[in-house]
Amino acid sequence: MATVSLKDLCKRYPGGEALAVDSVNLDVAHGEFMVLLGPSGCGKSTTLRMVAGLESISSGYLAIDGKRMNEIAAKDRDIAMVFQSYALYPHMSVFDNLAFGLRRRDFSSSEIDKRVADVAATLGMAELLKRKPHALSGGQRQRVALGRAIVRDPKVFLFDEPLSNLDAALRVGMRGELIKLHHRLGATMIYVTHDQVEAMTMGDRICIMNGGKVVQIGSPLDVYREPADTFVAAFLGSPPTNLLPATFASGTLRIGDSTLALQRDCPQNVIFGIRPEDIRIEGVAPQVRGEVLAVEPLGAETIVRFRLPGVQSDVLARGPRTVSAKVGEQVPLAFDMASAHLFDPATAHRIAQERT
Amino acid sequence: MISRAFLFVVVTLYTVFAAGPFVWVATMSVRTTTEISLDHYAWPQIWHWEKFPIAWFKSNYQVYFQNSLVVVVAAVIVLTVIGSMAAHCLARYRFRANRLLYFIIFSAIIFPPQITIISMFQILVQYGLYNSLPGLTLVYIAIQLPLTVYILESFFARIPADLFDAARMDGYSEWEIFWKVSLPIALPAISTTIILNFILLWNEFLYAVVLITDEAKRTLPLGIQRFIGDTMYDVGMIATGLMIAIIPVVLIYAFFSEKLIQGMTAGAVK
Repeated sequence: MATVSLKDLCKRYPGGEALAVDSVNLDVAHGEFMVLLGPSGCGKSTTLRMVAGLESISSGYLAIDGKRMNEIAAKDRDIAMVFQSYALYPHMSVFDNLAFGLRRRDFSSSEIDKRVADVAATLGMAELLKRKPHALSGGQRQRVALGRAIVRDPKVFLFDEPLSNLDAALRVGMRGELIKLHHRLGATMIYVTHDQVEAMTMGDRICIMNGGKVVQIGSPLDVYREPADTFVAAFLGSPPTNLLPATFASGTLRIGDSTLALQRDCPQNVIFGIRPEDIRIEGVAPQVRGEVLAVEPLGAETIVRFRLPGVQSDVLARGPRTVSAKVGEQVPLAFDMASAHLFDPATAHRIAQERT
Repeated sequence: MISRAFLFVVVTLYTVFAAGPFVWVATMSVRTTTEISLDHYAWPQIWHWEKFPIAWFKSNYQVYFQNSLVVVVAAVIVLTVIGSMAAHCLARYRFRANRLLYFIIFSAIIFPPQITIISMFQILVQYGLYNSLPGLTLVYIAIQLPLTVYILESFFARIPADLFDAARMDGYSEWEIFWKVSLPIALPAISTTIILNFILLWNEFLYAVVLITDEAKRTLPLGIQRFIGDTMYDVGMIATGLMIAIIPVVLIYAFFSEKLIQGMTAGAVK
């Protein structure tokens, strides 16, 4: 176990004008499962590779267990990494793949045999040890990649989108296994993903990045419920938060041609954000009416797409599976204003809730 | 059914086209020149196996074969090691003038041997390497290096970078990664270059005939040329010599052919 600290960490590629990673500050505690979440090209993988020692650090400070790591080679950082492509050595058997790192560190052959056998038993792949990677399924390869990291018993585990090459069903299974593994090992883990479900279900905390910068750090439910800006609000959640331009005047929020009572003070122009599950369809005390554009029954729930009068963008609501709305109907909607957020249109930041 | 019959005909014709000359030379290698001049295409009546020991011991083929083997094996070993190292660096590392260096190495391919041979000759004379087997070996390395680097670089470039990163995380140095990861993975491509270089250099005639003059330093293609006189060809012995010369090529091909096919089809199927 170890702590990992990033202070003003920056990465600029030669010839690149913008910073790929821009002043990232992050403290990962002992045994914490930290998820770096963001869209493609947001700098999360580059940040992880800087922690791994696979990318040089342009400026800033990286410490593991309080010790400066900027100039330390990847092999001397005592870190293991699981890659998106698994990166298994194709010419070696599963046993040799697992033992490759141990051999370099001068473990005795009996110790190597014991460790490999332990890891193989833990991950349920004892019968695969003699096979080559090409004779394994995607899930089995992922297991070997995971085993290769575990077998070294490193201070820190790094994961670079390790589940994105798996099919949906396998991904759910591996997600559960990774959570169990984290609990059992109690190791410090940094996990990069663009999949918000992985982030929400696995992370102790989530660090959301955009454009090379950290946008918000917090526990999964905190960042979900209290998004720092419109980016986080739109990025987290499926379907995403509805973001609608609105104007405020004397206790009333006007969205298009509809008005909502607002029990708080705020600037005149705002962006009104509300999650689909906070809109009740055909609920009690409806505040506005919307025209149904599409109904998407998902079995357990129903996603309904609306158009509010005078609003350009569609509004999505998550309802129970019993929703009976039909396309073209005008249905009453109730907004849970306590869960709604207001954002500053100029900065996109959330306007702090000072309820009156 | 018709398409299968058509395929059979095409394959048969191609086999006759490819193997026909080989079988013809093989039959001639056990016939005497007199027999051949009476009927060029006849099947051997008496199988003159004694021609092989005669060629080997009395016509100096033993020496030519040994010279060829020393020069070609040494050149192929050096080409494989240097070529794969260069290809690994050019494919793997981003450094200033990477592409320029690649272009300079590769551009040597465009000069025909008739042009480079003059400068090669002068350089070898200056360095006292003219008419020597080490000199010929160096020339062979120089002429085959561009093609070797070209073939290997394109293969090395397809090895996923994550593998190298994984090996670095496993604690290996760049030098160890080359030997333990790159080289074993690139074995199909390396086998391709070994076969290609071996065959091309084993049959090489132009540089050898210009750069070697001593009888004791001749390579096999020059040895075979000895049976071509000003007024007559000893066709029977030429055929016997050719058969002796072909054997190592066949052996090399048989040994590496599976890897060769992998090398040629690499990346075709995921």
